[in-house]
Amino acid sequence: MNETATPAVEIERVTKTYGTTTAVDDLSLVVPRGAAYGFIGPNGSGKTTTLRMIMNILYPDRGGVRVFGDTLRGSSTDRIGYMPEERGLYRKMRVRDLLEFYGGLKGNGDVVANVTDWLDRLELAEWADKKIETLSKGMSQKVQFIATVVARPELVILDEPFTGLDPVNTEVIRNAILGLQAEGTTVIFSTHDMSMAEKMCDFIFMIFRGRKVLDGTLSSIQDEYGSDTIRLRTGEGAERLRTLPGIEHVTDFGQVQELRIARDCDPQQLLGRLVGVTTITSFEITRPSLHDIFVRIAGPSATEVTDA
Amino acid sequence: MPKLLRVALREYKATVKTKGFLLALVLAPILMGGGAIGMAIFESRVDTTDKVLAVIDRSGRVADAIVAAADARNASMLYDDEGRQVAGTYTIDVRTPAAARDEQLLRLSNAVRGGELHAVVEIGPGVLHPRDVGSAGTIAYYAENPAVDDLRSWVARPVNDELRRLRLLEAGVDPADVPDAFDWITPAGLRLVSRDPETGAIGGAERSTELEAILLPIIPVMVLLMMIMMGASPHLQAVTEEKQQRIAEVMLGSIEPFPFMLGKLVGGVGIALTASAVYLVGGILTVEYMGWGAFIPYSLLPWFLVYMVAAVAMFGALGAALGSACNDATEAQNMTLPSILPVMIPIFVLIPVVTEPSSALATGLSLVPLFTPLLMLLRQGTPEGVAAWQPWVGLAGILVTAVIFVWIGGRIFRVGLLSQGTPPKLGTILRWAVRG
Repeated sequence: MNETATPAVEIERVTKTYGTTTAVDDLSLVVPRGAAYGFIGPNGSGKTTTLRMIMNILYPDRGGVRVFGDTLRGSSTDRIGYMPEERGLYRKMRVRDLLEFYGGLKGNGDVVANVTDWLDRLELAEWADKKIETLSKGMSQKVQFIATVVARPELVILDEPFTGLDPVNTEVIRNAILGLQAEGTTVIFSTHDMSMAEKMCDFIFMIFRGRKVLDGTLSSIQDEYGSDTIRLRTGEGAERLRTLPGIEHVTDFGQVQELRIARDCDPQQLLGRLVGVTTITSFEITRPSLHDIFVRIAGPSATEVTDA
Repeated sequence: MPKLLRVALREYKATVKTKGFLLALVLAPILMGGGAIGMAIFESRVDTTDKVLAVIDRSGRVADAIVAAADARNASMLYDDEGRQVAGTYTIDVRTPAAARDEQLLRLSNAVRGGELHAVVEIGPGVLHPRDVGSAGTIAYYAENPAVDDLRSWVARPVNDELRRLRLLEAGVDPADVPDAFDWITPAGLRLVSRDPETGAIGGAERSTELEAILLPIIPVMVLLMMIMMGASPHLQAVTEEKQQRIAEVMLGSIEPFPFMLGKLVGGVGIALTASAVYLVGGILTVEYMGWGAFIPYSLLPWFLVYMVAAVAMFGALGAALGSACNDATEAQNMTLPSILPVMIPIFVLIPVVTEPSSALATGLSLVPLFTPLLMLLRQGTPEGVAAWQPWVGLAGILVTAVIFVWIGGRIFRVGLLSQGTPPKLGTILRWAVRG
């Protein structure tokens, strides 16, 4: 297999346990090169453990992980940039010194020039000589992001990169990630922001209780669930909808309501019934959103779905 | 630059560029020197307080001699040649022994407590021939702090001189015929005689002093202790902090745990070398300037440096391993004692080892790798020295132990850094060490 055809990450039947708890259970996954791969799942489902195994920080109990075709166990990970969920920066160091230190550890390219470039791109140039402890949370997070990408890694792993960021900085980081992907970098990131995952990811992987429950493009995942979702706007809100036959679940977003209908329910007949009980200003038959799919799997009634 | 050295350089800079390091560099010798100066000041400060000693002479034989000795002392020893008072007067208050002994002692003790008397000395009735009379042949000294009391030491001589004089008289010898009968000659401590390798002449033995025998060997040990404290001890807190602030996880994304820890240890060694260079160069220049250059044990310097590097690596690995098992500063605080205990144990035995450097205890302890750096250095610094093989065996032990500590520490470090929640028990830490 030639170098470019090799997937960025191959996880084969990996299991990782902590004592009696199985964090990751017989997981297999392939991340193609150049893809943006979103890891989603409830807290404690095994996302971070999986990311740490890719990073070679944790070793699987069974199975294997290959990055760019190599088994990393015991070796360095200079081709990977990793940003953990909880940020880790030496608070007493100055921004530039810290970035040059982290970049230097990877040792790819001209770190000094890269640091200057990234500080400019993320509008942190004037903070270059400040100590980390003087930065705001958002700035620290941007510094952590730069530390992850400054050595020009071929694979970037970001654990919850948008947590705690305001909308402006979220946009800055989002654009930076997309820029990296456009340059050919493979990006894996975990997130609880489903809309972000929908917008940014070529592939989405969901892990629940240590097992893979979703893996594919957004479209293919939605196809699995069919067009069982109706998005509508009503004059009287969601309350009158809940008792109608054929409606399994109602999600009220305020201005918009989303209905999940039974498999044998005809949307045309349902529209007729809806018109009888409320004023309909908008009616759209659609596929379920990622958020809806997530809730179906990981919500209170998730067991039935995931076991099916 | 290799990753390990990058980590080492960061550790080094992070410490030596701080105000705390510079402050410690300056303050440590000042504090230690200050202690010595304090001792010197206290030593030169003489007690010129007048003291009254009550004497109950149940033998009826020595009270007058004590009074005479006190008078002689007061006449000749209160002032030095320049007229400065260097001692207080001793006044002897001879009391008639009362039938109610306990009441008399209580009364006099209260007088001591009230400040009217300094102490009470009670001469037993059988002191002239004490061997077969039990408690009747003893002398008791009652005071607020009798264990450390110059007057107690002083009074012993006139009492015993008089008793000896009386014993000679009983034996029919006139003490005046042998005026030097009680002269006491203390042997002068001299180093062994040796032949000069260049001239072939047999050299005169040099006088050995307490300074040379005790103080000089201890100085490099204390400097080494400081270096261990500066280069190795901070690892425990620093690693815990890195773990708590998730820096460790970021680092592990770039460097494997073992070189990461090794880099920290190398940084620690660099810090110790820097500080020791400052102290050694500064110390040597100062001592040479003061004209005491002959006392500098230059032959110990290589051993000092080797012991220091090995000790910082050994204790640094221990600190880093324990630090990685802690979740926060409080847990790290609790681990501080076990981490520095191997460093402190040699300090507890410094005096017995320096006074008997060739004893089995001193030799045995100095060959225990954890204690070797401090105790072998101490023994090597004594005038007696050690057998040539001992430092080499000790060094081999240290190096093997340092490698084992670094290896095991690295395994604990790797697992411990990512562990969260309840602090691990000793069994868990040992399991990490075995399984990695």
